[in-house]
Amino acid sequence: MTEDEAGRRRARGELESEVMAALWSAGEPLTPAGVQAALGSDLAYNTVQTILSRLLEKELVRRRPAGRGRGHVYWPAQDAATLAATRMRAALDERPDRRAVLQQFAAALGEDDAETLRALLAEREP
Amino acid sequence: MTLTVYLPLLLPALVAVAARLAADRARPRAAVPALVAAAVLTAVATIWSLLLLILTLFDDLPDMAALDSRSGLHLPKPVPDAVAVVAVVLLAVVLFRLERDVHLRRGTARRLRHAGPSAGGVVVADWAEPLAVAVPGRPGEILLTTGMLRALDVDERRAVVAHERAHLAHRHHLAVLLAGAAAAVNPLLRPARDAVAYLVERWADEEAATGVGDRRLVARAVARAALATAGHPASAPAPALGVHGSVIVRRVRALQAPPPAAMRWQSPLLAGVAVAALVLEATATADFVAVLRAWLIP
Repeated sequence: MTEDEAGRRRARGELESEVMAALWSAGEPLTPAGVQAALGSDLAYNTVQTILSRLLEKELVRRRPAGRGRGHVYWPAQDAATLAATRMRAALDERPDRRAVLQQFAAALGEDDAETLRALLAEREP
Repeated sequence: MTLTVYLPLLLPALVAVAARLAADRARPRAAVPALVAAAVLTAVATIWSLLLLILTLFDDLPDMAALDSRSGLHLPKPVPDAVAVVAVVLLAVVLFRLERDVHLRRGTARRLRHAGPSAGGVVVADWAEPLAVAVPGRPGEILLTTGMLRALDVDERRAVVAHERAHLAHRHHLAVLLAGAAAAVNPLLRPARDAVAYLVERWADEEAATGVGDRRLVARAVARAALATAGHPASAPAPALGVHGSVIVRRVRALQAPPPAAMRWQSPLLAGVAVAALVLEATATADFVAVLRAWLIP
């Protein structure tokens, strides 16, 4: 595999995860155009369509006709995510000390720290 | 072998000093390997010193005790038996804690692996608690909860995923595992362990910032994710560097400041500690062998 191909493969993986994330945070079924808008990037419509088909094959998303010939709407498959959550909770609840060794993106905060962070966030808004 | 065998037990205090100083000043990419190497080396020195102390009990073996009665033999008693017995107990405790720590870290990763089908290496779990975790493996996976996804906007989500991918790409779990194991062996290394845990987060933050091309975006993602986590009552604290939560504030501040410069004198300090550990252990071992030879070869 050339470096360029490896780069393209990685990029496709990143797009798949971004589309999944967009579908989950939308909270309602989206058309491919809706996904395109949610991602806010210069992704081609066809690329979004291709990624959605791949996710459908993996049974990570479901779809139904949008009606009136507008193609399909897509939403994330609930069962896979519920199962993942069940496994995750089981692993972490079984032994509470597991959380302490987890490399979490963000940890819980004290009230002082929360205030500081809110201030820091506000500071940067234009 | 009087001082030389005891001093290595205290060397980790210097590693801890270097760790504290490196945490916010050094470039994480350089500081993490240096700290991990120094921590592991001084932890091994700790075990070796305990072993030497234990081995001085050899003259109490029945066969050896007979040699003691030879007339005219005046050998120094290098280590009191009481100290050697304490070393036996300490070594047992150390090995127990080491096994438990490594088992906990590896077990946690194993249980989180393959939680579900992944899209581009990301597994989404439908759970209100905001969590984003890198699960090492071949290949590694990123676990994201819907609670985390919904707390962030599209750019912030990209930053979080870039951060977690950096953890996996640079095998940060190994650095954290080794530093944790070293601290389990010698508690003086706990500050070094916490500094490594903090610095791999900083490393992943910096890499994410390079990836998305925006340090402020990563700072915002860290802050927003932490606030979402704080708003969730079930979320467990993950304290590090002794101060609860403030690690997040330090990460956000570091991202708002210019990128850190290279290490200056932390490297020589750590290298000095490594050399001192090797010299002291070599001297202690040589002294031990000398006593042993004098004892066995009249």
